[in-house]
Amino acid sequence: MRRTVGAMLALLLALAGTAAMADETRWVTSDGTALKQEATMSSPDVAPLPVGTALTVIEAGDRWIRVRTADGKEGYVYAGRISDTQPAAEAGGGDGLFGESMQQSQIQAAKADSARSIRGLSPETAQYAKQRGTPASYQKALDRILARQVTPAELKAFLRQGRIGEYAP
Amino acid sequence: MKKFLMAATVLTVLWAGSARAGLFDTLKEVIGPDTKEGKILSGATQVLSSTQDMDYQTERTIGEALALEGLQRFGKPVANERLQEYVNLVGDAVAANSTRPTIPYRFAVLDSPVMNAFSTPGGIIFISKALLDIMDNEAELAGVLAHEVGHVAGKHALGTIRRGQFLSGVGTITAATMKGDQGKQFQSMVGDLQEVLFVKGLDKDLEFQADAMAMESAYRTGYDPRGLIEVLQKLQRIEATAGHKAGSWFSTHPPLDERIARLERQLKKYPDTAKLARLPDRFAKRTR
Repeated sequence: MRRTVGAMLALLLALAGTAAMADETRWVTSDGTALKQEATMSSPDVAPLPVGTALTVIEAGDRWIRVRTADGKEGYVYAGRISDTQPAAEAGGGDGLFGESMQQSQIQAAKADSARSIRGLSPETAQYAKQRGTPASYQKALDRILARQVTPAELKAFLRQGRIGEYAP
Repeated sequence: MKKFLMAATVLTVLWAGSARAGLFDTLKEVIGPDTKEGKILSGATQVLSSTQDMDYQTERTIGEALALEGLQRFGKPVANERLQEYVNLVGDAVAANSTRPTIPYRFAVLDSPVMNAFSTPGGIIFISKALLDIMDNEAELAGVLAHEVGHVAGKHALGTIRRGQFLSGVGTITAATMKGDQGKQFQSMVGDLQEVLFVKGLDKDLEFQADAMAMESAYRTGYDPRGLIEVLQKLQRIEATAGHKAGSWFSTHPPLDERIARLERQLKKYPDTAKLARLPDRFAKRTR
C-alpha cells in the first residue's frame, strides 16, 4: 500500500514537472533580444526575437532558459528579457491585434527615430516653437539631443564592456 | 488514502507553480498580479483611458514641446559629448528592459544647479548635472533614469490631460493646425503639463509606480537595483541640511522616507543583488 502511494506520488511529481517545463509560454519583453545557440552571449545567434514573440519553455534555468519558437527554432534566451505575461501592444498601431499592431508600432517608432536623426525637430514642434517665440538656441539644443542616437551595436558593446546582465560572467 | 492523495496533488501543483516562477517574475508577487499596478508593471495593460488612442507621433510632439520649455526653465545640455553619449547608453540599456521598450528614448544632462530629473511624453528624459554629481556609480544613474523611463512607459504625464482637452486640442495636431485655435489649445495643454511636471509634481502613487518599475528594469538589465535607493538616501541626507527645495526631486516627489521604505520591501524579493553591476570606475571616468 505504502509502495503504491509512493509510486503514485512520484508519478504525479514527474507529470507536474514535465507540465511545468513543456506547457509554459513566455513572451519577449525586451528590445534587442536574440535566441542564442548556447547559454552564453558569446555563442552565435539563432534568430532575432522581437518584443512580443511567444516562446515555449523546454528547460527552465536561473539565468538562461531553453526555449522553442513558434516556427520550431530552439535555443537559449536570457531570463531578464522574457516574462510570463504578454506585453501590451503600443497604442495607435492600427488594428488592435497584438502581433501586427506591435510590429506596425515598431516600424512607426523606427521611422520617427530615423526621421529625427536627419531632420531633428518635427515640423509640429518647430511650428510650436515659432508660435511661442522659443529662442533658436533652445530649438538647436533639442535638435542635437534628438539626433544623438545609440545604435544596437553600441549598446551591446557597452553592456559587454561593463559585463552587465547576460554579459556577466 | 484519498485525503493523502489529494494533499499530494495539492503539494505537487504548488511545487509545479513555484518551479514556474522564474528569477525575473518577482515583481508581480511584490505588487500583486491582479492589482492595476501589478498589471501595469507586468506590461499587461496600457494605462490611460483618455489618451489610450493617442498615436506615438502626437505623444512625441507633446514631449518635444515640453522639452523645449524644460530646457528654458532648467538650462541647456552640458557641453560634453562623451558624457551625453554615456547617459544615453545607460538610459537605453534600462529602457530596453522597461515595460515600453520599442519607442526611441533620448537622454540629456542639463547644466542646472537644481538636483532634478524629469521626463516628457514620448521618451525625452533630462537629468541635471547637480543630481548626477551626487552619484557614485552606474547603478545609481541607471536607477534614476529607469524611474523617468517608468513615467514615459506608464504615460503618467499624459494621464493628467483632461479627455475633452485631448480630443479638441491634440487629437489631430499637425504643423498646419498648430497655427490656429487648435495650436492655442495645444499651447494651453503644454502649459498645464508644465505645471504638473515642473511645479506640482505627479500624483504620489505614480511616483511609487515609477520607482517600482525602475527597480525592476534596472534589475532585469543587470544593474544592482539598490542604486535608486542609494540616490534617494543621499537626497535624504542633503534634504536634512538644505533649506531650498523648489523645483527639485524633493519638492516634486513624495517623501523620500516613504519611497525608500517601499523600495526596501521590493528589494527583498530579488535574490542575487550582490553580484550585479555597479561600475563605480566607469561612472567616474565617463562623468568627471
